[in-house]
Amino acid sequence: MSSQTINDSFALRLFEGMQKNNLNYIYRGVFSQNITDGILSLTEANLEKVGEDSKIKKRVFTIMVEGLQNITRHQEIEEETDTNSETGIFLIQNIDKRYFITTGNPILKKNISNLTDQLNKINSLNPDELKQYYKNVLNDNIISDKGGAGLGLIEMARKSGNKLVYDFVDLSTNYSYFYLNTEISQEKGAKKPIISKSSGSLDDIKELHKTLNNEEIVLIFNGIFNQESLLNLLSIMENQMMEHNLNLKKKVFNIMVEMLQNIVKHGANGNGLSQNPGIFFINQKNNKYILNTGNYIDITESEKLKEKIDYVNSLSTDDLNEFYEKSLFNFQVDSSKESGLGMIELRLKTKRRLKFEISPFNDKFSFFALETVVD
Amino acid sequence: MENILFNPTEDTPKVVFNFDTGEYMISGRSLPENAVAFYIPLIEWLRKFNSSFKNEIIFNFKLEYFNTASAKQITKILLALQAISLNKEVLIKWYYYIEDMDIKASGERFSKLIKANIELISYDD
Repeated sequence: MSSQTINDSFALRLFEGMQKNNLNYIYRGVFSQNITDGILSLTEANLEKVGEDSKIKKRVFTIMVEGLQNITRHQEIEEETDTNSETGIFLIQNIDKRYFITTGNPILKKNISNLTDQLNKINSLNPDELKQYYKNVLNDNIISDKGGAGLGLIEMARKSGNKLVYDFVDLSTNYSYFYLNTEISQEKGAKKPIISKSSGSLDDIKELHKTLNNEEIVLIFNGIFNQESLLNLLSIMENQMMEHNLNLKKKVFNIMVEMLQNIVKHGANGNGLSQNPGIFFINQKNNKYILNTGNYIDITESEKLKEKIDYVNSLSTDDLNEFYEKSLFNFQVDSSKESGLGMIELRLKTKRRLKFEISPFNDKFSFFALETVVD
Repeated sequence: MENILFNPTEDTPKVVFNFDTGEYMISGRSLPENAVAFYIPLIEWLRKFNSSFKNEIIFNFKLEYFNTASAKQITKILLALQAISLNKEVLIKWYYYIEDMDIKASGERFSKLIKANIELISYDD
């Protein structure tokens, strides 16, 4: 049995870590135009879903576009240093109606002093001065060969109404990692608490980024699970997996759909729970994809779920196929919530026993972590 | 007879049930949140018009992907076609992209389980 348990439930720890930092969404990897579009629609759909004010939505959106463009333009890693730890990262946090957007990407060390000067200059200006500075830069037509990133930073500072928080972390002889954190607060121009906590949150993010690098996590989502976020996540993963062969891509796609629809249909989201009912993340190790979900379930469902998975895990491939076919024709179990096929399919498609853990959370809910491996 | 024409969406397939031209096709992706609701009108349509069909029916499936919830509803469509085939000549064409082992295997599974004429056809465009 121990082989079917997820070691010390990494999913739960990661979920708690994300909750603690109020993280909604993290993407780590190569940023293409399509992936950027997917991230934007995913966030847009989530802001929509939580009923966010349209002004805030627009501000968040503008800053995301600039931030994501900064990453795509400056993914300046040369082939020789091409390792996983040096891909871009994008995170969004929502703390008490304040949104924090953090981007990270490797940059050439020789560009640090110029970038620092720009950031310090922007941070030294008040809103009116910023507006003027924006015009000046625009008029001076100072456009770098990467296409006017200076304007992007000014725009982020203007739209957020806050200082840009940044940090550099040493990577190699020629490269550093550049983190940029922007806060979008509810009231533009209103008095805000001193933002010293932001630099603290950057330390948390750097710490989390280390975990993601170690675990080779390419995508984490900790938002509202519905069909719309599912479709956006699928489109991001489809673009991410572009170079793989059709059957591997389809398997990942297939398993993602089953695991995410499990949360959409069965995830508990009752009172006393935070707004995010679960977590989804993907690790990519060599040519393997490891898909994880963690979500709350009603405590009364726990035993039945455990029995079902234990049963599915106990079957041989032939027995599984037979069970699949029997379930396919079992129209006693046939509702919008339940076809009775999901777990069997996961086991058949991954050709592995399903690893899972059900941990008690409180007197109403359990936390259900499920891990599948696709190769 | 009312024909059915559903345009494809991000998570539902294109559906053509055209009684006048005799074209029957379900194609694309099927992963709706509520597969039962999506497929009910199709299944009922087939059951209702059972006796009115022409003597020969060619029914085409050209699916790229379907989730397990859809698999169950597709089974019901196939069972409705199986019932029609008691009185009419029914040919079910199950298309799969030549490299797509998954859709091919589903076709093989259905042709084993459904008592109707199912032909597996690969395509590579």
